[in-house]
Amino acid sequence: MFPLPKEDKMVSPFFVFYLIHAMQVGVGILGFERVIVQSAGYSAWIAILASGASIIGLIWISYRILNKGNNDIVAIHADIMGKWIGGFFSFLFSLYFLSFALVVLRSYVEVIQVWVFPEVSQWIFVLIIIFLAYSYVTGGFRVVTGVSYLGILYGLPLLLVKFYPLQYADYGNLLPIFNASPADLFKASKEMTLNFLGFETLFMFYPFIKDGPKSEKWAYFGVLFSIFIYLLTAFVTFVYFNQEQLKGTIWATLTLWKIVDLIIVERFEYIGISVWFFTILPNICIGLWCASRGMNRLFPVSQRNALKMFCLLLFMISVLLTDRQQIDVLQKVISQIGLYTIYFYLPFLLVLQYIIMKVKKG
Amino acid sequence: MGFFKSKLKRFNRDNKQKKNENSEHELRIDELLHRCKESTDFVSYRYSESSPFYIHYYQTIVEINILHQYVLPYINENESNTLFDLQQAIPIDNTEIIDNVHEIRDKLLTGCIVIEVKGSIQEALVISAVSLEKRPVSMPEVEYSVVGPKEAFVESIDANINLVRKRLPIPDLIVEEVKIGSLTKTRVAVLYIKGVTDKENVNTILQRLKEIHFDQIVDSSFINQIISDNHNSPFPHLIDTERPDRVASVLSEGKITIIVDGSPHALTGPTTLVEFFSAFEDYFLSWHIASIFRLVRLFAVFFSVLSTSLYVAVLTYHYEMIPENLLNPLIASRSGIPFPPILEAIILELTIELLREAGARLPTKIGQTIGIVGGIVIGTAAVQAGLTSNVLLIIVALAALASFTTPVYQMGNTIRLIRFPFLIFAQLWGLLGVTFCFSYILCHLLKMTSLGRPYLAPVYPLRLDDLRDSLFRLPFFMQTKRPMQVRSPVRTRFQPKKHEKPKRDIED
Repeated sequence: MFPLPKEDKMVSPFFVFYLIHAMQVGVGILGFERVIVQSAGYSAWIAILASGASIIGLIWISYRILNKGNNDIVAIHADIMGKWIGGFFSFLFSLYFLSFALVVLRSYVEVIQVWVFPEVSQWIFVLIIIFLAYSYVTGGFRVVTGVSYLGILYGLPLLLVKFYPLQYADYGNLLPIFNASPADLFKASKEMTLNFLGFETLFMFYPFIKDGPKSEKWAYFGVLFSIFIYLLTAFVTFVYFNQEQLKGTIWATLTLWKIVDLIIVERFEYIGISVWFFTILPNICIGLWCASRGMNRLFPVSQRNALKMFCLLLFMISVLLTDRQQIDVLQKVISQIGLYTIYFYLPFLLVLQYIIMKVKKG
Repeated sequence: MGFFKSKLKRFNRDNKQKKNENSEHELRIDELLHRCKESTDFVSYRYSESSPFYIHYYQTIVEINILHQYVLPYINENESNTLFDLQQAIPIDNTEIIDNVHEIRDKLLTGCIVIEVKGSIQEALVISAVSLEKRPVSMPEVEYSVVGPKEAFVESIDANINLVRKRLPIPDLIVEEVKIGSLTKTRVAVLYIKGVTDKENVNTILQRLKEIHFDQIVDSSFINQIISDNHNSPFPHLIDTERPDRVASVLSEGKITIIVDGSPHALTGPTTLVEFFSAFEDYFLSWHIASIFRLVRLFAVFFSVLSTSLYVAVLTYHYEMIPENLLNPLIASRSGIPFPPILEAIILELTIELLREAGARLPTKIGQTIGIVGGIVIGTAAVQAGLTSNVLLIIVALAALASFTTPVYQMGNTIRLIRFPFLIFAQLWGLLGVTFCFSYILCHLLKMTSLGRPYLAPVYPLRLDDLRDSLFRLPFFMQTKRPMQVRSPVRTRFQPKKHEKPKRDIED
């Protein structure tokens, strides 16, 4: 009923590193510092570590489910809960994957509007980006993997410019190291988790990995690398900004790019935002690919048509969201849903799968 | 003429009886001869009134000395009246007695002498006496190298295969030939080394070649375009080379070569994007130098594609990006120029393209003059007249120069072409536009395949072993494996000897 993909459509296990990392680092990193600092002050780096650790645990859970089911989430749902209930949950998952693409797309276009082209209306950029994502996704999973891999390679040089703010660093900002109550830290961790969302796409592309169980360590490396990037970014931001100033800065990382002073380039943020597109694009592509693939598995519709439908949907919703408040609400809603999905639904699924497998065997 | 007419009469008489038996021959030999007679260079006569033999050939493609020295004397001496006896007597190898008229026609048209005997109707003796005009093997002009072999392919397929085979004297070098083109009947040879080349690749090529339905195959570039994986791509799918040494080298890597009669360029594949930026001379230089040169070429490509569009993007939308010390020279050169940057850039880019196109179509000597006069005079005049800025002139000239560093000519053209969409996107959305355009081309490259193998390898899919000879070239003792790209059944090229130097003290 749910056939596995052909061998020539699959990718090597180590690409899971890039896929997971690409999904986790998106728009959030441009401004996550303010959010966690509002809750836990400059001890928020502990929150990054804590939520990162919890994500590693969740990936462990995911691989237990996937290795046992040896297929994607749609097939596993159908196995465990039957055609109708399982199908319903799979449908929700598809929409959930689509919402990733939506949040990332809309937030990036907002960045463009605020920082580069305030006078150009948003639908133009939405349209171009959706068109680009569409042409990537029609290339299949291998092309989508390719863009996440190359996107990370293009994005990495941006880490080098973190050196410039360090020239004006005040390392005293970090002291005292522990200056937050456990409750504050918990709140910050919860907010930090939103930035790590996206690894759930693993549930959709797992059958496309050659020798899936072997890819587990690469998934951990991917998360570890994300944690490293977030920690580095937070560190540079914390030593540059003073705490009160940071609380009022929406895009801290973007603001830091402004002080980069190269010999031939001033105002580095224009280059930064352009290059950042290669980090955004894989997010949208993976989200759209997962969503359309889910539709293809659930309903008798070709993935291409499902993709077209979703692109249209994405375009309409993105254009309808016009101001900062709406985007904020969207981000909050999606992240709440994501939070419950990963912390409650995934363990629940693991237990349910275990019980039902036992019953079926018995 | 008289004897020909009498022969026709005889044929007509005989054919009345034999008509039923010969019905499978769509073409009768007399019809064939009749059709050939319409050309003035077709010669057809009876040797003498007493001789039973009729001789037919095209005098323009036959080596007439062979006929005079080795055929006619024996017809004269020969007492017997059969083709078989004549075949025995003539001191030329590879003569054949053929009874298929289509085959006779093909032989006749590829430079054979056809001898018929009185009385035998559908049989003929075919003697090969082909005389083909070809130029001698000369220096490579498109892929010139300072060091290394200086041979280049010529327009004759046999000479070209000769050049390859003398470099690979092994029985495993297989040549498979197909004829393509309903009018040109071009001989197309597929070369590969058996056991080293993946059979699937060979089958892919042979199948695609056989599926070609086209009237004329004049050059190998026709084949390159027709069998490419994606017909809408501006990127070439197979490398065309005029160097036999390069062909021998890629054959031993496990790739396949297509040689087309009448074309001095061989096609090799499956190939990757980075291979287009490796000159064969890289292998003649030490690996450090070769690696640096490759990286320089790669940089040149990016520079060539992006520089003008970045200029337009920055000057149109992001002028805040220009640092203070650069601002002065820019303003000085831009002030008083009546056009926006995009117009200025397009005019200059087109001028360069015009110069190149004019230079390419003219004889070498005039071409040089055009280059110097056009380049210097127009460039200087345009700046002095205040139509373009100095800075942009430098950028455009450098970009054009950079595009010529690509060793494969076809790729150089592609690079110059894709500059224009970048320019337009830069004008529309500045740096973001450049990014959009770049990501669209990246998408195209990611989707592209060459003979079904990924085009962006070894970068994606990442193949660390193949990286040793792609963006840079590591020393030969590290190149122990054939590229994964070609899926060779024998991956190991040679067993490396351990590079262990005995540890010695300083003065030992």
